[in-house]
Amino acid sequence: MVMNNFNLDQGAAADGLANASPENSPAVDAHPEEVLARLQAQTRRHFLRSLSAGVGSLFLGNMALNYAAPAQASELAIDGMPRLDFRRDPTRPLSVLPPQFAARAKRIIYLHMVGAPSQLELFEHKPELMRLDGQDCPASFLQGKRFAFISGVPKLLGSQYPFHQSGQSGAWISDRLPHFEKHVDDVCFIKSMHTDQFNHAPAQLLVHTGNARLGYASMGSWVLYGLGSENQNLPGFIVLVSGGKQPDGGKQLWASGFLPSVYQGVLCRSHGEPVLYLENPKNVSRSLRRSELDAIDEINRQQFAEFGNPETITRISQYEMAFRMQMEATDALDIRKESAATLAAYGSKPGEESFANNCLVARRLAERGVRFIQLYHWGWDSHGSSAREALNAGFTDRCREVDQPMGALLADLKQRGMLEDTLVVWGGEFGRTSMRENRNGSAMQLIGRDHNPGAFTIWLAGGGIKPGITHGETDAMGYEIVKDPVEFRDLHATILYAMGFDHRRLNYSFQGLDQKLTGVKPTRIVSEILA
Amino acid sequence: MISRIRQLISRIRQWPLRDRLGLYTLAPILLLLALLLFFPPDGAQRSDWAQFIGGFHLLTIHFPIVLILFVPVVEIAARSRRFQYLLPAIEPLWTLAFFSAVVAAILGWFLARSGGSAGSLVVQHMWAGFFVSLCCWACWRFRGRFAGRRFHIAYLSALALTVILISFTGYRGGQLSHGEAHLTEHLPSPLRNWLGVSKQQGPTAATPDSFFVLRVEPVLAQNCVECHGPSRQKGNLRLDSYEAVMRGGKSGPVVKAGDLKNSDLFQRVSHPPGSEKIMPPQGKPPLPADQIKLIELWISAGASPNLAANAIQGAPGTARAAAEVTIPEIDAAAVAKQRAPFTVTLADLDKRYPDTIEYESRGSAKLAINASLMGGKFGDDDLAQLKPLFDQFVAADFSNTAITDRSASNLAAMKHLRKLRLMQTRITDATVLALGGLNELESLNVFGTRITPAALKAAEHMPDLQHLYAGETIITTNSPLPDALKGKVQF
Repeated sequence: MVMNNFNLDQGAAADGLANASPENSPAVDAHPEEVLARLQAQTRRHFLRSLSAGVGSLFLGNMALNYAAPAQASELAIDGMPRLDFRRDPTRPLSVLPPQFAARAKRIIYLHMVGAPSQLELFEHKPELMRLDGQDCPASFLQGKRFAFISGVPKLLGSQYPFHQSGQSGAWISDRLPHFEKHVDDVCFIKSMHTDQFNHAPAQLLVHTGNARLGYASMGSWVLYGLGSENQNLPGFIVLVSGGKQPDGGKQLWASGFLPSVYQGVLCRSHGEPVLYLENPKNVSRSLRRSELDAIDEINRQQFAEFGNPETITRISQYEMAFRMQMEATDALDIRKESAATLAAYGSKPGEESFANNCLVARRLAERGVRFIQLYHWGWDSHGSSAREALNAGFTDRCREVDQPMGALLADLKQRGMLEDTLVVWGGEFGRTSMRENRNGSAMQLIGRDHNPGAFTIWLAGGGIKPGITHGETDAMGYEIVKDPVEFRDLHATILYAMGFDHRRLNYSFQGLDQKLTGVKPTRIVSEILA
Repeated sequence: MISRIRQLISRIRQWPLRDRLGLYTLAPILLLLALLLFFPPDGAQRSDWAQFIGGFHLLTIHFPIVLILFVPVVEIAARSRRFQYLLPAIEPLWTLAFFSAVVAAILGWFLARSGGSAGSLVVQHMWAGFFVSLCCWACWRFRGRFAGRRFHIAYLSALALTVILISFTGYRGGQLSHGEAHLTEHLPSPLRNWLGVSKQQGPTAATPDSFFVLRVEPVLAQNCVECHGPSRQKGNLRLDSYEAVMRGGKSGPVVKAGDLKNSDLFQRVSHPPGSEKIMPPQGKPPLPADQIKLIELWISAGASPNLAANAIQGAPGTARAAAEVTIPEIDAAAVAKQRAPFTVTLADLDKRYPDTIEYESRGSAKLAINASLMGGKFGDDDLAQLKPLFDQFVAADFSNTAITDRSASNLAAMKHLRKLRLMQTRITDATVLALGGLNELESLNVFGTRITPAALKAAEHMPDLQHLYAGETIITTNSPLPDALKGKVQF
């Protein structure tokens, strides 16, 4: 509701900043020329001050200018379209803003299978590949291709598990996902995803930030920046990991990049304190903590009044949120409050770090208005180099770990009417080859597949997505796309569309560019999968 | 044996020159016959040279036509004394007619054989052309042999047959080059009625929801109509309607129902890229496989104008089945005007219930409220406070709040609600029964309440209701459901 009460609150907000002289108060809602004048005044003062500290401070002075420049001050249109206004009361950076147009989805639960699960063992039924199993891979498959580990001439590898059709939609599925299978009619498969990254970390960065390099804002940050959060007592973007490891891309996958850091994802732990040191230390009461925070806030506000750095505001609001989270987060992440029947449905065991628990937590967070919930499950990199990562061994365990929980999550959301406006996305960072991996050119004991960025399957369900359909198609080997290829930027644009945004309009000025999740290359909203 | 042939040859040598010439000129006719029999046109394309030579068929064909039709004119004229001097010209006329007919026919074979022609029109034209040559030869021979007697019956009938044949051949040739209906197309309707030619020549229009209109026509519109449409009609072909597609172009119909081999529409788009005959022509992107498949399936299924769009199992989706997304621009002034009447009230309420009420979108004056996060702190009195905004609400979530049946009338007053969530509240059937007038409601959520099957009566008559979430209520899968709610209740 910031759009509306922003002007009304403006005075109060400024007053609230201790010792904020009119000259130094942050330029949030002023005329652009006024903003410029204030900035110039600041710059000159900074410059003079930094002279005494040498060239290093000169650089820092410049940095301060960068920060102080309100990113959205420009009223200029982008591509002929008027700019959307994302300015907020600086003390309430997570307050709710309406979407550009009526949205079908209000929140996202993104299930990322770290390591890239094999589409050929789950969703891609390729009888022709089964028939040719064990034969030498045709030379055309290898020409001009780079592989992580395959060398020489690998053998074609048919699916390790039997397939059958399921549901009204008749979607093909293997026998590894018996629980999820019951929900195929609620799901839209995209079998024609492709990416240009074939190593995990950059590919994961591309999935989540739209760019394979570091420093870009993640999807969750963009959504939070665009829409804010209905719940001011919890982070609007929460990350949960399972499988024993964090993803290769690390915390950059939920970073806010150039967006103010208040929009970054918060990694919560699955057991114990949701966030380390969230609880008060022994012998510190909540009121003592309050007065401590008040003192810190006071100092931070003085700092902000002097420098106008929005990151200071982020700091203040994070302290405040942490204080409120002491109550709410512990409750939200406590799955012991669920009925025994619900725990059984998910296969959750309180106290474990498991995908099942995280799925249940995801539903609890979704109910509490968290905008973007990101789950990572490790262990899908089925090269066959170890039992844990072999298609004929660990892969089955991974399937068992996610199958029941994700089926239960879909069922739970549907039962509670939340699938109407919650968008669930499942996928890896790329796919796996139709050939058996032959590390260093020699046959391997266990069965595995190498990375295939050229074609893989993801699925979406819920808000704004057409259920029970399959989009795109790969060749008879499941190796290359033959119909309707979808890039991650197309997927991003489609997800943002479901959330009520034209991806070109959800942007942020940084380094002279109107940055956006979908970048500058041509992007298409996959209209075929929209409900 | 050899001696007999020698005998025959020596006897032939003693024939008069004219008879010998007649015999020798049978050779090109036999050559033509052999070509037509052993190398018929088969729809395949052949060398450029052959096609180039074949191109002269269209030029040479007019010589025999004129010469043959000229003969009867001269014959009649020469009956009168005045034009008697023309009589000796007739035999040379036949000589010329015969040779030009044979040459034109051989060139025609080149054109048909190498140019990829096939189909009954070509076959009829071809054989008629052959018989024209043969009849010419006969006329020529008869004219010489029976020159003494004025009108020998054999010559007369051969002449008549030749004229009939050349007319038929010419008509078929015209159909090949100018389309099947080139004569009857613009037949004035009185004449048409008098002749009894039915109008069915122009095929009927396709029905709007047919496979053709929904699946095939978009493919044509996207790829073909630029050159075969209202602005340009290359090859005299238009592909912008069912009638036009079925009418075909200058080389005849392009669609033969159920016959892919003779349907140029399919053949031409399915040539390998880079081939001479591929459509769209070289340099333009060829049709994607699934679009070719649509054309193939439609022709195979009978090229019907009213086959249902979903009648063909396994037909690929049209490449552009879903229109590209269009996003309307926000009219800021109009939105501000719509919002103006309640802006102040809203700002006031927003302070009391922060992050609870929000516009549906930046381009809308409709509101959505989510009080569920306030939990027990939000009750009936709070809901009543929102009264000035009731008309604006399109979505409301009061789940987990402290509201009771006391709010029933207020909820019922939110006339424009499309989505209402009352999960895990203390409301009873009384509230749901009060909601019967919410005509725009699409989704009603009473999950985890004490609602009984009796409450379903209210939902029964909501015209737009799609979902009723009744999990963890007194309503179970065994409860009797009104017909109107079948398939809409989620347990």
